Amino acid sequence: MDEEKKISGKKNMILCAVSVLLLCVLLFPLYWALITSLKTEQEIFRNPPTFYPHVLNTQSYAAQVETGDFNMFRSFANSFLISMGAALIAVILAVPASYGIAKYRFKGRKVMLLSFLVTQMLPVSVLLTPMFIMFKNMHVYNTWISAMLADATIGIPFSILILKNYFASIPKDLEEAAYLDGCGRFTAFVRVLIPIARPGVMVCAIFSFLYAWGDLAYGMTFILDQEKRPITAGIFNFMGQYGTKWSYLTAFAVVTIIPVALIFIFMQKYIVSGMTSGAVKG
Amino acid sequence: MEKLKKRFRYDNAGILFVLPAFLYMLVFVGYPIVRNLIVSVQDVNAGNLVRGTKHFVWFENYRELLGDSVFTTSLVNTLRYTLLCLVFQFAVGFALALFFSKRFSFARPVRGILLAPWMIPVTVTALMFKLLFATDIGVLNYILRSLGLIEKNIEWLTTPETAMFALICANVWIGIPFNMILISTGLTTIPKELYESASIDGANRVQTFFKITLPLLRPTIESVLILGFIYTFKVYDLVYVMTSGGPVNSTHMLSTYSYKLSFEMFKYSKGSAVANVLLLILMAVGILYIKATTKGEEE
Repeated sequence: MDEEKKISGKKNMILCAVSVLLLCVLLFPLYWALITSLKTEQEIFRNPPTFYPHVLNTQSYAAQVETGDFNMFRSFANSFLISMGAALIAVILAVPASYGIAKYRFKGRKVMLLSFLVTQMLPVSVLLTPMFIMFKNMHVYNTWISAMLADATIGIPFSILILKNYFASIPKDLEEAAYLDGCGRFTAFVRVLIPIARPGVMVCAIFSFLYAWGDLAYGMTFILDQEKRPITAGIFNFMGQYGTKWSYLTAFAVVTIIPVALIFIFMQKYIVSGMTSGAVKG
Repeated sequence: MEKLKKRFRYDNAGILFVLPAFLYMLVFVGYPIVRNLIVSVQDVNAGNLVRGTKHFVWFENYRELLGDSVFTTSLVNTLRYTLLCLVFQFAVGFALALFFSKRFSFARPVRGILLAPWMIPVTVTALMFKLLFATDIGVLNYILRSLGLIEKNIEWLTTPETAMFALICANVWIGIPFNMILISTGLTTIPKELYESASIDGANRVQTFFKITLPLLRPTIESVLILGFIYTFKVYDLVYVMTSGGPVNSTHMLSTYSYKLSFEMFKYSKGSAVANVLLLILMAVGILYIKATTKGEEE
């Protein structure tokens, strides 16, 4: 890649300018939501619309913190707990599973791999009613645990398919060296293989977290009480109640994006590999 | 062959590593699929959902669907929506991938930032597009008005055809980064020498695109389209938040209609039946995907 010559000079300038223009057009919806959250309600309804807040208004954020019913931070914390739990379950189960699939040949391996692949394609609609009945019977209906358990089912197959490639790419010699040093199968796995596959584990944790963070269907269906619901369900409720109170709604949306944005900014390299390796090769 | 064999341990101990995850998925996904099939041939309502006897009505629920015009609308909607989304997100994604494969200084960073729409929770995306498509304060209506294309504000989300258009726009916005990054990755696998020798042979850009880029990208394009189909076809949150299937059921998709039947009208059996139709179509396409991806898989 690097030997290929870079474009420079005037052509470079033009291409850069075009790319920035594309960026502005494509990310306009995000910008618009952000500035709407910082406008006063009167300014939002002004015609023609203002393309930046003429009067900076942070009341939308402050008000949501104060009102008890739709306390943003409460649902933020709920989402955080649920997503962390789901990511934890996914990683704990997926790391050994992907190692087993990548490094061993055993009866039923293909069937298992296929079934993980298939679960990635399932629509939530198929699972909602049976899960609903199941969680009621397990007495976890209307608790965080129900959403956590359900959300993990998205993270697990994704993580296995990604990590399997990481483990498969680790040379056998490394593992064998560990055996020669007297490590058992399990110690070799924990001491040698997991550390090498760490970037892969990060990708899995991040994506499992993000899948759970973005979930609406499970959180809304399995958790009834507003004060236990995740932030996405919070927004949805809020939309129903305050219909066109756009300053509040967009502020809620911006807060929901914060963790995603932080992950996006600080873990950019993991995101590209997560988006590509999960899809290209099963 | 001998060398290949040596890379693995033929050892059933491996199953112990996989079993916990497999059992988890069996309990929380495998069992629900079976249960959903059973519910769809029974008569399950709010009264006997958790406890109580459920009577078998066999294919009654499915038969009912055939005469249900909302079901037909949802099915047609889902197909139309999926195909239109695929066409646009693939075209734009492909164009962007080609653009960013040029080595100018901003190529990498800008392409990275453009992935953002894929990461944003769909509920938030739905809200953002509701704002853009709002009738009175919507910026889209403002732009169209300023350009003189419309005189009166369009009621995007409360008119069936335009509501569908708005949904497609939102979904394309989410799908573009996915298409772009997968095709970008596919492009990097094409050996540069091919382009060099093509240009020595006097091939122009259009020729190299059709003779080199497209054929070599075929596996990537296949998996992008199939995965795109699967992700789009099972759409739920976006439609539920933006239109909830309205106005007057005109934008219902199979997933949202199934949800409505089960959790708003408490016709669990009929809802499950709709979900199974959705599943059936997804699985048919899924088999294509599995065939395509496991082609090179070692035995």
